[in-house]
Amino acid sequence: MPQVSHDPRLEQLLQHPSLWRGRSIAPQPVVATGFATLDQALPGGGWPRRGLTEILTAHQGLGELQLWLPALAQLTSAASARWCAFIAPPFQLFAPAFAAAGVRLDRLLIVQPPQTLWATEQALRSGACDLVLSWVAQAGIPELRRLALATEQGLSAGVLFRPAAAGRESSPAALRLLVQAQPGGLQLRVLKSRGAAQPLINLTLPA
Amino acid sequence: MKRHSRTAALFDALQAPVPPRLPPPPHVEPPARVDARQLWAAVRLQPAPDAAGLQRQAGRALHYSSRVSLAAPDIVLLEVRGSLRLFGGLGSLLSQLRGHFHQVGVVSMAPTALAAVALARSGQRAALTDAQRLVSRLAPLPLACLGWSAQSLARLAAVGVVTVGEALRLPRAGFAQRFGHTLLDDLDRLVGRRPDPRVPFVPVERFAVRFEPSYEMTGNTALLRELQPHLLALQQFLLQRQRGITALLLSLEHRQHAVTRIVLRLAVPEHCAQRLSSLLAERLRQVVLPAPVRRCGLRCGPLLEAASDSAGLWQAGEQGGGANTQMPAFLENLRVRLGAAAVHGLTVLPDHRPEQLSCVAEPVMQTLPSRVAGAALMPWLAGRRPLWLLPIPQLLEQDASGWPLCALQRLQLLAGPERLETGWWDGADIQRDYYVAADASGARLWVYRQRDGQRRWFLHGPFG
Repeated sequence: MPQVSHDPRLEQLLQHPSLWRGRSIAPQPVVATGFATLDQALPGGGWPRRGLTEILTAHQGLGELQLWLPALAQLTSAASARWCAFIAPPFQLFAPAFAAAGVRLDRLLIVQPPQTLWATEQALRSGACDLVLSWVAQAGIPELRRLALATEQGLSAGVLFRPAAAGRESSPAALRLLVQAQPGGLQLRVLKSRGAAQPLINLTLPA
Repeated sequence: MKRHSRTAALFDALQAPVPPRLPPPPHVEPPARVDARQLWAAVRLQPAPDAAGLQRQAGRALHYSSRVSLAAPDIVLLEVRGSLRLFGGLGSLLSQLRGHFHQVGVVSMAPTALAAVALARSGQRAALTDAQRLVSRLAPLPLACLGWSAQSLARLAAVGVVTVGEALRLPRAGFAQRFGHTLLDDLDRLVGRRPDPRVPFVPVERFAVRFEPSYEMTGNTALLRELQPHLLALQQFLLQRQRGITALLLSLEHRQHAVTRIVLRLAVPEHCAQRLSSLLAERLRQVVLPAPVRRCGLRCGPLLEAASDSAGLWQAGEQGGGANTQMPAFLENLRVRLGAAAVHGLTVLPDHRPEQLSCVAEPVMQTLPSRVAGAALMPWLAGRRPLWLLPIPQLLEQDASGWPLCALQRLQLLAGPERLETGWWDGADIQRDYYVAADASGARLWVYRQRDGQRRWFLHGPFG
């Protein structure tokens, strides 16, 4: 977290754009996660709107998609929202739950496998999507780097849901979170982040 | 003061309504002046075709005359005076026309278009060329053959007028007052007292080309190279007409095998040869040709109004800039490679059964103005629902006391039951008690127990 100074004049000076400090990063666009604890813990105060994010889980369906639900609602209901794409989701998406959370269904696009990596890259690069949620099984560093470049070209954000074992490999993703279920919510371990983040986040999910 | 009043008077004069231009008084009968340069043939198609069928028959009629027009729903009109000499006189032309259309309809001829239509509608195979005999020939026909509304016909029948002759005998001023000017104008056109200009039929344009490559091709690259000049010609054809296409058919003929047909469908009208070529290349990559290609055919679908090529000021994603321009191209790229069914949107149906509730939809291209989201509009969505649904519910094992197990661990029930008992009317009825459960790792699941039969437990979806 950026250090907070108590003198308002000093604070004003530190905000000057030509002043860079060791721990600060260039401000990047974010979207609020909808969970106050998570917003405080992540650099910039939300999910990044550009670049790759990796969510690592031991198995699917822990609650990792719920992490993105408020952000999805916010992105899809914006005035000039682009698509939010789901590439190769492991199960069928159940529309009523999304609608009830305020997600606009006409902004969702679902792409079925195979060719997950190719479709993910197309979606990130095209500029037609705000957010691309992708369930990639196998991806090496060259492929991930390619996806990261595509996000910059298409001004989009990519979220890769990967098995927990992938946490041992290095990755060009800007943010990597290991998600584990715990009673009443989730435990998020930040494996990598651009800018300082709290290493361990305990999150309560709405019952 | 005086000046002011003058201005006011002038202003009033300007404000005064211009008297509408009155139609000529109906009691003045225009002189009957049948245009001797015209002879109309009407083909009545039976049974009445659809719009496409009518267009097709009109296209056939263009063989006999350059002036063809349509009278919906079932008549094709041809002006044949200009074609008499070419086809060897009236008798010869008529027999050729009847031969050409004998399977589909009745051909009649008259000096005015409406008279030809009336004769054809009343089923008379007449060839009337003499303008003097026009009225006497039309007089016995029923008024229904003029295509007037049922209401007008009923009102005319109420005063005892059922044939054309009876209508023509009525005093003009009274007829116009009681039945309206439009009907009187129709009668005037029928007997040639009033000109009857018709909108000419313009045939649908298609780009179609067949060509034989210089050698029998096996590879896709060679095929694309051969196609390139024809795609450029197609682009030229479309640009000249300011149109785009959404469908393109490529047919490849082989020496012994059946023709390979490749249909390219696009999300928005397109004219760019380069784009069509890259999409075709993508499609060809998936096709395995059974044999070398001897002959190719390229044919486009209907020409559509093309979207303009103007670029937005903002790049997509900046300031909410035009993502709409990228969406169609992106969607086409995906669909060409993965197939149309693999890319879809999502929608909710009004039902309570989870299996019937969520439905695949066509992706929405344009950003619609924001509406009230989900739950407020869909009261049947109350209750907690998972984000994921298993396509087929998974049977859960039970321990000795009948408690559900997941991965050999007892499930913990957190909420429920929520009873869903519906759908008896269409044979897919469900009787279930739904619970929110948590497995040993803490992940939440949506499970249900059957209320009928063996009362077994099923997993229907993780909350995700």
